Amino acid sequence: MSLSAAKRKTPSKSQSELIFEAQQRKERQFRSNVGLSWGLLLILLVFLFTGEKLNLGIKLIHLDWDFIRANIGFISSGVGVTFYLSILSIFLATLLALLAALGRLSIIPPIYALSTFYVSLIRGTPLFLQIFFFYLALPQVGINLSGLMAGVIALGLNYGAYMSEIFRAGLSSVGKGQREAAQAIGMTPTQTMTRIVLPQALRFAIPPTGNEFIAMTKDSALISATGFVHELMWRATKVGRAQFHSLEALIMAAVFYWMMTLVLSAVQSRIEARLSKGER
Amino acid sequence: MPPIVKVSKLDKYFGRLHVLKSLSIKVESKEVICIIGRSGSGKSTLLRCINFLEEPSAGVIEVDGIKVEGGEKGGRHRQLVHDVRLKTGMVFQEFNLFPHMTVLDNVIEGPVTVKKMDRSKAVELGEMNLERVGLSQKRDEYPNRLSGGQKQRVAIARALAMEPRVMLFDEPTSALDPELIGEVLNVMKKLAKEGMTMLVVTHEMGFAKEVADRVVVMADGEIVEESSPAQLFARPKDPRTQALIDRYRSGGQ
Repeated sequence: MSLSAAKRKTPSKSQSELIFEAQQRKERQFRSNVGLSWGLLLILLVFLFTGEKLNLGIKLIHLDWDFIRANIGFISSGVGVTFYLSILSIFLATLLALLAALGRLSIIPPIYALSTFYVSLIRGTPLFLQIFFFYLALPQVGINLSGLMAGVIALGLNYGAYMSEIFRAGLSSVGKGQREAAQAIGMTPTQTMTRIVLPQALRFAIPPTGNEFIAMTKDSALISATGFVHELMWRATKVGRAQFHSLEALIMAAVFYWMMTLVLSAVQSRIEARLSKGER
Repeated sequence: MPPIVKVSKLDKYFGRLHVLKSLSIKVESKEVICIIGRSGSGKSTLLRCINFLEEPSAGVIEVDGIKVEGGEKGGRHRQLVHDVRLKTGMVFQEFNLFPHMTVLDNVIEGPVTVKKMDRSKAVELGEMNLERVGLSQKRDEYPNRLSGGQKQRVAIARALAMEPRVMLFDEPTSALDPELIGEVLNVMKKLAKEGMTMLVVTHEMGFAKEVADRVVVMADGEIVEESSPAQLFARPKDPRTQALIDRYRSGGQ
């Protein structure tokens, strides 16, 4: 038997391997400890609402489980409405953001001005005011929008203004060389934009747009103030106020919002991972 | 036979900076011209003015009989610029491949989108041009899976697929690792042998010596000397040419 073959048989690890394994062990340990702590915090939070009487004369918060059982169906059916509302709004917002970002690139003064004017006006006023404006103020000039329409338009306009920055960053992430290469093979400005610049810019913009969508599902709660869109928050405040059980009602709504954002975040990070390992 | 490219009294300003000074040059059919010069001499700008990636401030650019006045505006001018671009292929220092398209899609993008060629016909043309640069087997890869040399060869195939009358090379090997330069230069030599008209801005003196029919030396926005490579490298007339050659000989490039 040769010497090298004998060497291969003994499973002694090199130093670099050992160091690498130690690092991995450390990372795994950290992750599992974080997970454990999360679990404990969650248990503690739930425990706070058990209504137990502690020895020290402190009484924990008591929840009326009959109320919860009776109303969980009513409140949970707001999840779909919230999601639907957010989907409509994010579509409108994406469209407006893209137009605003393109307007920002325009060399035609009125178009550039329109884009910056829109972004400035919307970002300079509260979202809550904008929602009321579309729902309460417009009827005065004869424009009656349903609560849903008013909400979607307000959310879409508002998020569109903020998201225009995302698309602007996406457009400017596409280097000048890409445009020049397209021009050099004879592409028109429109062809260059639609075939070369936009596909790359949109890929860049997808993960942050996902983040905005998650934020939007929560901000859509403001639309409950119009009183006519039966989304999560509206349902929670309705039954909560009527039966003086806002505590239980809001906690239920909070749990549903939280679950929604957790699920959407998971979906989003999967999309992000796929995009980043793709052909960039 | 009329020249393929004729540049007459070309002026280019960047702001107050006068980068090309009433420059004139002709490129005959099947001629290979290498433009050398220090950085900042205006050689890249000259190339980029020929296909109007930079709009000339003044002067006339004529490519294969299409005559365009510099510094004009409007629809007719845009149409002429478009026509000129269809006659010229450009290869960039930084390759500028489209990262969201496969190698083959990069090559056929021009024929399909600009020339409205049938996809099947364009694929045939694309495969033929990938064959020319020796990269047929990479047709379905994305650019980020290629080496720098391979990227540049794809970029050459992309330009060739438009069937240009003249190829413009803007320092095609300057962004490459030294061991990858050879494969790109070999493709260019092959093109030269096939009779392609080429205008090459380069620091590769060896390539200029071996392949060029004519070497043009630029300095400060002007052509200071032009002659056959043999003559230029043996008996440079201008001191600035001498300096370039000395630097090359001392192992700079």
